[in-house]
Formats: sequence, structure tokens, C-alpha cells
Amino acid sequence: MDKVRLQIFADHCAAAAESMAYTLYRSAHSTFVKETEDFTTGLTTPRGQTYASPRDLGATWFVCLDYRNVIERVDGYEEGDIWITSDPYSGFVCTHAPDVHLWKPIYHRGEIVSFAVGHIHNTDVGGAVPASLSRTLTEVHQEGIRIPPMKLMSKGEINQQVLDMIWTNVRVPEQNWGDLKAQIAALNTGEQKVLAMIEKFGIEAFREGLEDVLDYAEQQARAVVRDMPDGTYFFDDYIDEDAPGGKPCRIALTLTVRGDSLHLDFTGSDPQLRSSLNLPTGGNPRHALIMVGITYVLYALDPGILLNSGLARCVDGVLPEGTVVNPLFPAAVGMRSLMCKRIQGLIMGVFAQVAPHRMAADPSSGGPMVNVDSVDSRTGQRVVACINPMPGGAGGGPADDGTDGSGANEGFLKNTPIEISELEVPVKILRYGLQPDSGGAGCNRGGLGAVLEFQVFMPGTRITARNRDRTRFTAWGLSAGRPGSACAFVLNKGTEREVDLGNTDIVSVDPGDIIHVSSGGGGGYGNPAERPVESVLADVRQGFVTQDAARADYGVAIRDGVVDEAQTAALRAGMTRTNAFYTLGQAREDFEKVWTRANYDRLTEILSSLPVHWRYFVKHRIFELVDGLDDRTGDGGDVDRAFAALMRQIPNLAVEQRQAAE
Amino acid sequence: MSYRVGVDIGGSFTDFCVLEEETRRLISLKVLSTPFAPGQEVVDGIRELERRFGIRPADISYFTHGTTVGINSVIQRKGIDLWLFATEFFCDVLEMARLKMPDPYDIFSRRPAPLVPRHKVLGIRERMLADGTVDVPLDRESLAAAVETAQRAGAEGIVVSFLHAYRNPAHEREAIELITELAPEIAVSSATEVWPAVREYERTMTALVAGYVQPRVSHYLSSLQRALSEIGVPAEAFITTSNGGVMRAELGKKRCAQMLLSGTASGVIGASYVAAMCGRKNVMSFDVGGTSVDVAFIIDGKAQYGTGELVGEFPIFIPTVSVTSVGEGGGSIARLDRQGVLKVGPESAGSTPGPACYGKGGTQPTITDAFAVCGHIGQADLGYNAIKVDVDKARQALATIASALGLGVEQTAEAVIEVATSGTYVEVAKLVSRYGLDPADFSLVAFGGAGPMLACFLARELGIKEVVVPPTPGVLSAFGGLVADIKSDFIRTVYLDMEPTVLDRLKESYDKLKVKATDWLTNEQAYEGPATLLYSAEMRYRGQSYEIEVPFDESWIENGDWNRLIGAFHSEHERIYGYSDPASAAQIMNLRLVIVGTVPRPELPSAPLREAVPVPARQGRLFLSGRWLDAPLYERSELKPGHRFEGPAVVMQADATTCIPESFAADVDSFGNLCIRPTN
Repeated sequence: MDKVRLQIFADHCAAAAESMAYTLYRSAHSTFVKETEDFTTGLTTPRGQTYASPRDLGATWFVCLDYRNVIERVDGYEEGDIWITSDPYSGFVCTHAPDVHLWKPIYHRGEIVSFAVGHIHNTDVGGAVPASLSRTLTEVHQEGIRIPPMKLMSKGEINQQVLDMIWTNVRVPEQNWGDLKAQIAALNTGEQKVLAMIEKFGIEAFREGLEDVLDYAEQQARAVVRDMPDGTYFFDDYIDEDAPGGKPCRIALTLTVRGDSLHLDFTGSDPQLRSSLNLPTGGNPRHALIMVGITYVLYALDPGILLNSGLARCVDGVLPEGTVVNPLFPAAVGMRSLMCKRIQGLIMGVFAQVAPHRMAADPSSGGPMVNVDSVDSRTGQRVVACINPMPGGAGGGPADDGTDGSGANEGFLKNTPIEISELEVPVKILRYGLQPDSGGAGCNRGGLGAVLEFQVFMPGTRITARNRDRTRFTAWGLSAGRPGSACAFVLNKGTEREVDLGNTDIVSVDPGDIIHVSSGGGGGYGNPAERPVESVLADVRQGFVTQDAARADYGVAIRDGVVDEAQTAALRAGMTRTNAFYTLGQAREDFEKVWTRANYDRLTEILSSLPVHWRYFVKHRIFELVDGLDDRTGDGGDVDRAFAALMRQIPNLAVEQRQAAE
Repeated sequence: MSYRVGVDIGGSFTDFCVLEEETRRLISLKVLSTPFAPGQEVVDGIRELERRFGIRPADISYFTHGTTVGINSVIQRKGIDLWLFATEFFCDVLEMARLKMPDPYDIFSRRPAPLVPRHKVLGIRERMLADGTVDVPLDRESLAAAVETAQRAGAEGIVVSFLHAYRNPAHEREAIELITELAPEIAVSSATEVWPAVREYERTMTALVAGYVQPRVSHYLSSLQRALSEIGVPAEAFITTSNGGVMRAELGKKRCAQMLLSGTASGVIGASYVAAMCGRKNVMSFDVGGTSVDVAFIIDGKAQYGTGELVGEFPIFIPTVSVTSVGEGGGSIARLDRQGVLKVGPESAGSTPGPACYGKGGTQPTITDAFAVCGHIGQADLGYNAIKVDVDKARQALATIASALGLGVEQTAEAVIEVATSGTYVEVAKLVSRYGLDPADFSLVAFGGAGPMLACFLARELGIKEVVVPPTPGVLSAFGGLVADIKSDFIRTVYLDMEPTVLDRLKESYDKLKVKATDWLTNEQAYEGPATLLYSAEMRYRGQSYEIEVPFDESWIENGDWNRLIGAFHSEHERIYGYSDPASAAQIMNLRLVIVGTVPRPELPSAPLREAVPVPARQGRLFLSGRWLDAPLYERSELKPGHRFEGPAVVMQADATTCIPESFAADVDSFGNLCIRPTN
């Protein structure tokens, strides 16, 4: 296709995907669609590659979703069929049970020419807890009904048995049914649009066009990669806890840039967890959940890039089996979004080495979705409502400060007006705003975290704060920028009854109790001593940075709104200069005094030599044993000693290890 | 003779549409806008009307106009030094907004810098609860201290916006009184006075945009009133409003929130008038200027309304004719990306330097240049002689990308038109799905200087079966102001569970709204004719996070007809979502009332159809489908009702150029509209 027709074809693809999304958005009515926009629509080739996805509406995570594994898993397609799945272990298209995926073959003269696809996150799909998601769940069976690939519609007729089976297993069937109808309407819109494209361009040009738009995105992505210096780059990061009250969980990435290709090696990432943070990828390095971060990076470097799965072709790599990035059945995966966000940060971080003056410091992205489950005394009815997502500040970048309160990879989230929350939920909100001094100091400051405080009035009110992290390890700063502040979840802060809830994600409270939730700040970018004095002054005037912090973190002396030039010069001269590329924060530095890279690498090696179902257990025991050592060397030997001690305690461990090796 | 005059002031041109009352003849005129001296273009135009058509200012019996003074002040951030007084501990309402970033795929995406910087947002100790009871009384000391801070810093305006004030405005009112007393020189307004609806960010933003521009708008309107009376126009000035109505200019000084998006709204009103006149119920209005492409839908004869429409970068939440910007207009620049793929826009040559062919210094190829190269324009003068088209300059500009594409200049120009069309198609396709429409049921009413030029190309892409080009497409917004009614919207947030026990409260609340609305129309507007009241409510099922607007009949409220009221909600939900649940509890969030006072409608002249083939003014050449074709050029004024001709052809008139490609044919209807349809 020539370069003019290609653009026109790409426009028609975009129009088709957008039309599907608008159709879904118009006709669905659950909060997950209307407020959170947690859905996708798209079109794939007959082999399942996404060639069109919407930009205006929907989740940003599924541009590179490959439906091939579910499409090819079944056969006997007929015109008018629609298929359904919500099983994360049937082909790794669905990535947790609330996401109900549909796909519809589109026929032209008896032949499948494309598929219309998409998903909606359903509020509840049954399982152990309302809304189906909790970090505490340990296997996928607890996370709601899993629908293996099944025929939902046969030649245009709905299969009532499938529906009955689903509705029997979920808590609010009406809502799911409404959403499902909206999804079907979107698929039908996609089908009409594809048929119209075939009429306009002709079937041969249409087939050629699909390949060409994928090739076009691939070429764009490769052009961006080709500009990157060849080399191997390493970065790692931690989730605070691998389970409630657990140990840190490492994710590690070795990136190799060669020519116009990217090789991602996640070796060094922790074994799969007994909580639901695992990322179900099936080991595919081009999996949508891995590609989210890559897409953010490519788009940041070339905003003209076409968003389709062609851009994944420049990627290959290794996601070791039995790790958090490639868990084996039946690992729980419900909260994979927390892992996915941390991996996005990891990817942005490693690319900061590749394109040092074009990427930003770490966004906090450890803040929760705050939900209240209570009883409304006016009606006597149970109320479950989301009061707010608390995403946290974005990292400072080479050109600008990080955005405050949200941004970067969480820019798709919307909050709920205070007035609406207070109307609907029996709470009084005491404060909602930005947290001064929470942004990592830097030449370009990290975005501020937000704070939400509210009081409850009903006994037994349950507060859930899903997706919490970054209470311990904070957002890293870049190019001598400082880390952002930590997130917090505190009950009755500043009183005698204060309880620090750490990374807890659910708490039961009583009348009068006050909940404090704050999200972290983004990391800073560049040396804080080089931040223009007038920017520091402006921050102080606006209340984003306190006078004390201006002095301590930026070396700027301000009194009564006026800068003391002489004192500032002296303060700045006395500030320690650092060339640190990443500034990881005190908590992580302390942790890594024990858990040096050598120690952690050794831990990973040992764990990967064990059967999958032993790894998590052994990791925790080794952690305890290493913590108990008093003469640590940090060279990996600490872990060997701990493992040897463990082998003595558990004699069959050696057998298990030997068997795994065979 | 007496004349009704409608004026629309745009970025480049100011359009005049004049109705000669006795003859019902329409006269149109364009003059250059004078953004450096707002209002001067109106005076210029009125003088020009006299010079050219002998219309004496003293004979102007009705004058209405739309102005961009307000919206420009926002775009250029040239409003007043404005402060916001908010409830203590909630002062980051502007910084946080609704969190979502403009482009969530872009990790560097940012919300626009707030209209009021954070240090000019001061927290006032007070707290109202959701049910309207006082939790913390207004602390007059903290308020006085805030006033002093603002005053010392030279504040020109203050907006007071407190939590839940839509439910109980007592604290806002008390604050306004105290501020007025302490600082009479500062313009102060209350957010709930502007638009008393629930949702603090939305309400505050609406009031801030209004407060930010109000003194500028007010000053402008005063000087316009003075200028009109100086040149002897006896009619009182009206201004068009964002809801597609008009109001007295005098009132606009106070209520400028309602006129910020009047320009685009009156275009749609003009289009719907044309549509009604020729019996089309479903219309897409397509307004293309040098720097914008605006699309709106008229469904079943009604313009669609929305809230959250953008004034520059900021949303305002009063009901506004829903107009979507789908492109950058004739000035959009064509270029090749790194892979050599042809792109058109979003960069635009704007009105300065403008397209290369305007000879004002532009060198990059634009859509307008592409039309010039293909012969669609440049064969007649544009914009009442204001612009000469230099085809050679257009060719030079397009040549810069032609060689890289491996195409000739004409082929490149045609490719630019096609890519521009498909880019517009993407945006319009979204709207079609947003409203759930079938384009085949719609007519496209094309206007603005460049609308009729692009319309057939877009219609073909969308599968629209008819393009209607009104007699004066270049001045349809001005015409829209001329036919618009006096109209205002009122809202009251009630948040009630919809049960038979609330009927009395509903009636009581509607009665209060009705008193306000009637007072507005009879006292503030000094209107004496018949009035229409349109009732509706924003409702939802309990647990939903958004509302739908449900129209009510006044009698249902008067008689407490429970079944009709609740039934209207279920059936509206059914209509929109294909689903309703009469067993579920419903809630009523906002009551809405629109009051309408009609202005005399100009009945446009029509003539019987006399079938004939018109005589072209001359023959020209058009580049279409890869080759040069001979094509007739028609003079619009020579086209009479009943005339029919086939494309390729071009219709020239002073305010616009209409392109009729191959396989389209045009009929002139009895009102002089060009109705262009595909021939196959």
C-alpha cells in the first residue's frame, strides 16, 4: 500500500476501534465502564494480532493484546458466533477473572477476515471476596468464576446455558448482563466497520492493509529503537510485600538493545507468590502486560507512533517460568495490576539509562483505590462505593516537574467529587488535597502525592484500599533527583489510638474513627541544588514545598516570601553533590545493605533450582535466616549459608532440588 | 425599510447577515475582524452595509451578535487577577481537577495550568454537610483575613465556592456580603449563583471561567453599546448564548458564563433552522473555517446539548449546544513522517501566516493550498475580495512534499485532500457512535468559509446521502443569531430517592425554579411575549455514577402524576441503554428548567421550482481522481430554484466555495439551498 493509502487505511482502522469504544461506553452503565473506563475494544487479524485499538476511551494496557491463543484454541467458527472467556490460564488473553473477554469472527464471503474483540472489567465475578479481588487470595480458584473459552452466541443466538452458569456464580448478575450487552453491541459495530472498509478498499487491499498497518507500527518502533545506543542495561525494583505482612518482592530486568531490537530478560525476578500479585503472561515477552511499559516508552519517544501490536515485534526476551512474571497455574493473579504498574516503572527506569535525557523519574503509583463498605442509616441499605483512587505524583522529567496527584502511567484514572461521596456514603471527608513536601526534590521536582482523610459513622464499616504499595520503598529519583515520599494508611493519625496500617488493604473501623490515606510523591529529576531559585520560591508560595524543606532539600533560604540570596548561595555551596543516576531512597538503601545484589542474585539462583511450589516457602525461610546472621559478607555467601542451614533443617529439600535439576 | 441584523465575530472574519423585513431578502457581508479593537469590526460592518446596500443604521430594528471576547480572554489567559475562596482543607480543587490527564498514553501529559494559581486559592473556615446542615459556621475572621490578603495583592476578582453550597448557599451568600462590604472594588461572585449543581470541581470551574472574563466582557459590551448608539442604531444590542439562544447584552455583563461558546452554538442554530425550513429532521452541521472544523448533530429536529464543553482548555458545565472540534480547518499543514507516510495536521498555519496561496508569508502546504492546486478555489475571489489566491505559491508549497511521495504536485494535492478527509472521518465516526446514529439517515449542512469545499468528500467517506449548502454558507452563524430565541437554563440539585412521598418536594422545588425563570424572562429580559417552559430532571438508578436527562411534562409535576414521572425515567433509560429495571430504586439528582421566549421568525423567501440546467459563468479545470477535467464554474447568485447540474463543478460565491466532485449532482430547492446527492 502506498504511503497515502496507508494513512487513509490507518484512519479507517482507528475510526473502527473508536466507534466500538464509543458504542460500548454509550450503552454500558456500570461504574467500572463509566468512571474507571476499565474496558477495551479492538480489531485483530484472523491470527489474533490487534491492529486497531481506541485512543479516546478505555484502559491503556491492551494495545498489544494478542488473541491468537484463544482464537486458535477453539474451532468450528460460524458466522454470527461470539466467544467468551475469563480464564487467565486459557491462553493468557484474559489476565484476571473479572475481565470478561469476547471475540467475534468477521466473515467476508464465507471466510474469516478479522476478529472484533474486547473486554470489560466486571465489578464482581464471585469468588471469596466481594468484587473478587484481594491480595490475600492464594490460588486462582478463589478469584471468581473462570469461564474457559466458550461459545456465548451461536449464529446470532445467545446461549442461555452459558449465561445461567455465569449468573449463578456472581453477586450482581444484572450489572454484568448490562455490560455484556454493551460489549456485544461494540463487537457488532466493529463488524460493520470492517465490512464497510472491505467495501471501500476491496478485500485484497483490506488484507494487505492489515499487514501494512502492523508493519508500519513495527517500523516506527524499530526506528525509535535504532536511535538507542546498543548495550545491556540492568535495573531492579521491589514491591514492599509479597503477601500481607510478607517480605519484599524483587523484579529485575536486563535489557539488551541491539540494532532495532529489544531483548528483555526478567531473570532475577522473584518466584511466584502466594498472594494475588502474579502477572499471568504465559512466558510471552510480547504479552500485553509486559508491553504496557514498552508502549509508554516508545510513545514518549515518538508520539506519532501507531498504537497496535506491530510495535511489539521489536521485542523478545525471557520471562522465567514459576516467577512473578510468568506464574504457573494455579497461582492467584487478581491483583496483577499492582505488579504490572511496578513493572511499568521498572521498564521506564531501565530505559532512563538508554535515553538518559528523555525519560522521567519514577511515578509513585503505589496508591490505592479507596472503597467504603458501610450501611446508610437513611435507607438502612448496604452501600459499597469507591471514594477515590489515590494514584500519587508523577516523576520529574527532563523538561518539567512531575504532575501532582496523578499522572504518568496512571493518567487514565478519574476521581470522585467530594460532594458525591458524601451524598452516597456515610462518611465525612475532612481533607482532600496535595501533600506538601511529598514530591522528590530535584531540578525538576517530583509530583506531589495526595492525601484523603475521612471520618466514618457506622459500626463495622470496612475500608478497602486495594493496590497499596510504596509504603516502604519509595519512588526513585533520577539523575541526582531525590526519591518521593512514601504512601501511608493510618487509622486515627495523631491521636492515642493511632494505628499505622502499613500495606494493609482492608480494615474494619467504627464510629468516630478517622482514616488517613496518602499517596506517595514522584521521584525528582536532576540535582535539587540546580533547581532555579524562583521555582523553589514559587513552590513555597503555592504551598507545595515548605520553607523548611526549601532550605533543607534545595538550599534556598526563604523568609516571609523573600529569598535570602547570600544565605542561599552559602547553603547551596555546602550541599553535597551527587552523580547518582538512581536515588533509591533510605529504606531501599538500608535493605540492600543486607540484600546486596550479589546476595539477592544468589537467592534467585537457589530458588530457581527448586520446584515451583517450594520457592516461596524457601524464600521466606532464607530471609529469616539471613536476617539472623551477625557476620554478613554481602557477596552471596550469606544466602549460601542460610540455604545450607535450611537444608539441614529440611532434609528432603536436597532431594527436591536434585529432582528438579533432572 | 427596517432591518434585522445578526453578526458573528470570528478570529479572521466578522460575518453579517441582514434580513430586510419587508422583502424577506437576506443580505450577507464579511469584514475583517479587529481583535486588537474588539467592537470596531461591528462599526466597520454597519458602515459598509450602508455604503454597499444603503442600509441606514437608524433602520436597524434588531441587533444580535456573537463575540469571542470571552473565550479569547481565556485562551490567551488575559482575564483579570482572579482569586478563589474555597472551603478550608479543600483548596487543591483546581490542582487535582478530576485527575484524568488529557492523553493517558503520554507519560508526560499534563493538565493545563490552573486558571487561578494555588497561592490565590485561600481556604475559609466553614463547612456545610451534604444534607445542607451547618457543620462549621462561616468564620468571618478567617474570611476577613483572606480578603485582606487578596486585596493587598491587588486582586481584581474573587469567586467564592464552598462545598455543598448548591444545597445550602447561606455561607456563600454571607461571604459575598462581607467581601463586598470589605472590598467594594473587587468583583465578587458565588459559584452557586452561576450554576447551582452538585460536583465541586465542575461548579467551581464554571464560575471561575465566568469570573475570569466577566469584567472584560462587561467592558466590551458597554463600549459596543456606546458605539452602536453613536452611529445611530436604535435597537438594543442582544448577544447570542452558548445554549443556542440570545439575551440582552446588558444581561450578558452579569451572566457572561452563558455566552462563552455562543459562536459555535449559533452556527448550529442556523443549521437547524435551515434544516427545519427544508424539512430535514436529522442533520449533521459541518462548520469549517480557516482554523477549525466544528461538527454538531441535530437529531429529530433538536440540537444536542452537553455539559463540560471546553472554553479554551477549561470545561464549563452549563448546558451548551454540543459542538465538537474535529480538526484544524483549511490551514492544517501536510507533512511526511519518518516512514514517509502523509500526515495532515494537527499543526496549522492558522490565520497568520495562513495557507501559502494567501500570499501572507505561509510556505508550508495546507489543505487550502491543495484545493487551490486542484482548481477548486482560486478561480474566483474569496472573502469579499479580502484575499487573492496565488495558485503558484500553493504549487510551490506542495512541491516540497510531492517529490518525497514520488507523486506529481496535483496528485499530492489530491492525496492531501483525501488524508484530510479521512482524518476528519475518524473524529466524526466517534461522534456517530457516541450518539448511536446511522449516517445514512442524515443530511450534512455545510457552512463556514471552507465547509462547502470539503463537505462532499466527507459525505462520501461517511456514507451520508445528502449535502445541503444554504444560500449564505459563509455567514450561517450570524444568521443563527438572527433566528435564535431568548432562552435560559436553570438547575437545582435535589438528590432525592424517587418515591411517591417526594412529589410535594419536587413540585415545590420546580415552583421555585419557575419563579426564578419567569423573573429572568420578564424582569431581567423585559420580555413580554409568550413563554415556553421545558421541564426535565437528571436521574439514575441508585448506585449508578452518572445521570440521564429525562424530559417531563409540566402537568405531571402539577398533578403529582407519579406513574408518568417514574415511567418517563424507565423508558428513557430503556431508549438509551436498551434496558430498564422498574423494580430498582431511582434517584433524582438535578431538576432542570429551560425558559424560552420566542423572537419573530424571519420567514425566508421561497420560489417555485423551475426545472432547468443553469448556465455556467465559465468553464474551468479541476483535478479529480488523478486527472484534469473540464468543469463548469457556477455563480451562486445565478442558481435558481429548480436548477439541476452534475459534478464535477464548482459553485462560487463571495463567502464560500462549493466543490461538487464527480458522481454527485446538485439541485437547487425552493429556498435556494444547494442539495447535493451522490448520483449512484
